Amino acid sequence: MGEHIRRVTGTILRAPFTRRTVRELLYCGFGGVTGVAGFCITLVLLVFGLGVSVSVLGTVVGLLLLTVAMRVGRRLGSLHRRLAGWLLRYRVEAPPKFQPGTGILGRLDKRLRDRAAWRGISYSLLKLPVAAVQLYTVATVVIGLIDITYPVDWSLFRNHSGGTLNPLIAVTPLPFGGNLRIDTWPGTFLAALVGAASVIAASWLARAINAGDRRLVRGLLGPSTMAQRVSELERTRTLAVEDAAAALRRVERDLHDGAQMRLAALAMNLGMAREKLGEDGEQADNATVRELIDAAQRNAVDTLADLRDLARGIHPPALDNGLASALATLAASSAIPATVTADIGPRPAPAIETIAYFSAAELIANATKHSYANQIKINIFTERSGVLRLEVADDGIGGADAAHGSGLAGLAQRVSTVDGHLDVSSPPGGPTVVTVVLPLKA
Amino acid sequence: MRVVIAEDAALLREGLTRLLEDRGHAVCATVTDGDGLLAAVAEHKPDVAVVDIRMPPTHTDEGLRAALALRKEFPGTGVLMFSQYIETSYTAQLLEGGAAGVGYLLKDRVANVAEFTAALERVATGGTALDPEVVSQLFRASRQRGGLTTLTPRERQVLALMAEGRSNSGIAAELVVSGGAIEKHVASIFARLDLPPAESDNRRVLAVLQYLRG
Repeated sequence: MGEHIRRVTGTILRAPFTRRTVRELLYCGFGGVTGVAGFCITLVLLVFGLGVSVSVLGTVVGLLLLTVAMRVGRRLGSLHRRLAGWLLRYRVEAPPKFQPGTGILGRLDKRLRDRAAWRGISYSLLKLPVAAVQLYTVATVVIGLIDITYPVDWSLFRNHSGGTLNPLIAVTPLPFGGNLRIDTWPGTFLAALVGAASVIAASWLARAINAGDRRLVRGLLGPSTMAQRVSELERTRTLAVEDAAAALRRVERDLHDGAQMRLAALAMNLGMAREKLGEDGEQADNATVRELIDAAQRNAVDTLADLRDLARGIHPPALDNGLASALATLAASSAIPATVTADIGPRPAPAIETIAYFSAAELIANATKHSYANQIKINIFTERSGVLRLEVADDGIGGADAAHGSGLAGLAQRVSTVDGHLDVSSPPGGPTVVTVVLPLKA
Repeated sequence: MRVVIAEDAALLREGLTRLLEDRGHAVCATVTDGDGLLAAVAEHKPDVAVVDIRMPPTHTDEGLRAALALRKEFPGTGVLMFSQYIETSYTAQLLEGGAAGVGYLLKDRVANVAEFTAALERVATGGTALDPEVVSQLFRASRQRGGLTTLTPRERQVLALMAEGRSNSGIAAELVVSGGAIEKHVASIFARLDLPPAESDNRRVLAVLQYLRG
């Protein structure tokens, strides 16, 4: 208990000396000034712009002022976003770039509908009270620092005897209770104490107000949720398209190197066998013919196997009977003993079933290749919240990493194309549990 | 005939080797990529090289690029491209430097051993062997430009076989008619296309291709 209190006290007292506090205070200073200035500029532009544009004659001027306000709103937003990134290390993604329209009316329309600009303006207006507190914080620190120097001031400049001394005034940061008048040397230590307390308090106040400012920055200066969703969809669409193209390329390659090649060899075997049979009346080379036909037959059988694998890779027939039975088939062919428990409610969309199936197949293959596990457990169930959850767990050596294993990263990408996600828990030494969460509809 | 084979699929490489050796030809070397091909040709100076188009490392067109390099560096060596696809752009690149000692066949053609070896021998001796598929692609392209309309169907058949690199007697055998009948057709085709009559198979092919590419 005592230990705990000492630690907390230590943290509180040491706060002013951390680099973070310096950054927070710098942010209060810069952000406070730009905040107040931004508020004034925005307000003036908005008031004049709106005011003038209601009057018939001033519409053009008013609209011009408004577009200026929109530009400024965007600029101020980006300034404050950068300030937060630079000093608070709080990085927020920029909103989408402005897309200018064509023609005078088009341009105007686009400008006035620029959501990012309106959000920037909202930030500039809401920032005023925040900026006031931030500037107050900075002022408190400055005053506190001056107060701390009083004992030194006194001994350096005020220790002459005789004559009347002007008392020192120690300013307290509190807006009430007045200031301290100090006319004795020991009294200056009280002032120093007040100063130290002010600096510590201001350090924490800076953190608190900046925490609020961060929320504003994230809420108003980042991309809107809609814009975020759009860029997320754009990203996953690209992934889906690339994935489909890559899959087709793989199929073509497999056909070229597999079935097509084997059939060409088969045709060659048969052609040679035909030659060996000789023309009518000639003596056939039976041994060679038999050997060539054997080779042709082998090629035909291998081609069938190739094509079967390829077809299964495109769409596993077992999936037609549902995910549970398909996964059971998959588990049965696993090199490491695998068990499946399934509790699937309403049947998911075919695309979801396919993704879940291939995820399981890839995860089992990964475990077989890398984990040295003795046992794989596959668990698939529908959650009440309407998502399909697939867990593939093994008792192997662990150390799987979605960031490094390209297989896992590829899987995560494929899963994200339907708004699903993949989590990997694989501490060194194991066990590894990979969870794939998918919506029921694609 | 001395042959070098460049083919990355072991099954086909071994099959081809056996097929050619069965027929009494010498397979000097088998390689699996373009660089290996150039080295093997430099070493063995074969009559002809059989070249797969898709080979490691990129599995795209290294065979074609190696073949073009061969044509430049070793003009005496015939090159038979051997592929599962016929790409018109590949044909065009291959024939750019002339049709002498060039062949381009689908792998399917190996099913007819006699025809395949005949085509390979033609290429080895400076002739031409174009797959019927290559020729029909050229014909299609030519028809789109409005050529060939003045030929009768029979003449077009003969022209296609000429473009493959067949001799008059070869065409006669293929169409089961007399050599004299073919000679008449050929003369008529040359007259209609304003092509100078020529004896060598290769010059005939060149003339036909020239016309088809218009």
